[in-house]
Amino acid sequence: MDAADVEAIIEESLPNAAATVTTPRDPDDDSHYAVEVVSPAFEDKSLVDQHQLVHDALGEHLTRDIHAIELRTETPE
Amino acid sequence: MSFEPEELSREEVQQKVEETIANNEVALFMKGTELMPQCGYSRKALGLIGQYRDEVATVNVLTATEAYREALAEYSDRETIPQTFVDGEFVGGSDILEQLDENGDLEETLTV
Repeated sequence: MDAADVEAIIEESLPNAAATVTTPRDPDDDSHYAVEVVSPAFEDKSLVDQHQLVHDALGEHLTRDIHAIELRTETPE
Repeated sequence: MSFEPEELSREEVQQKVEETIANNEVALFMKGTELMPQCGYSRKALGLIGQYRDEVATVNVLTATEAYREALAEYSDRETIPQTFVDGEFVGGSDILEQLDENGDLEETLTV
């Protein structure tokens, strides 16, 4: 699983989401990702609920294939 | 050098989680201890809370990581560590604490 796979998983499960996934520690690090997601699905939701949508999208991958994500969620301007 | 504490049973972990969330204004479930965090995200969460709170109850999940993931998910619907609870409510992991701090909302969030 690499950064592009993580992007694809998120964009597939969240409506109109644009995900940007980078590896902040080391380009070959395949278990720590920085994830930015912009989606209208986050509107009127608390930060916890916004993060929950992304966590749900990643499902079992998180904590198993992926050690951790640094997550930022935003709504489109 | 690694330090491997004796694993707690699932029941002991569930009880520890329940009591810690119920009996503390601010509780942080983290990897490692307050003096020696074992993960950068846990260290970050501790530092963010410490800006506004002197008192925070910390629990080191590494004493039984999988059991803690399961027990915490009952309260937060997520298995990632760290997890912060204020007044019995799940607030978030280190990213949410950071975003709340940037928005100027963290101090109020941590005030019971």
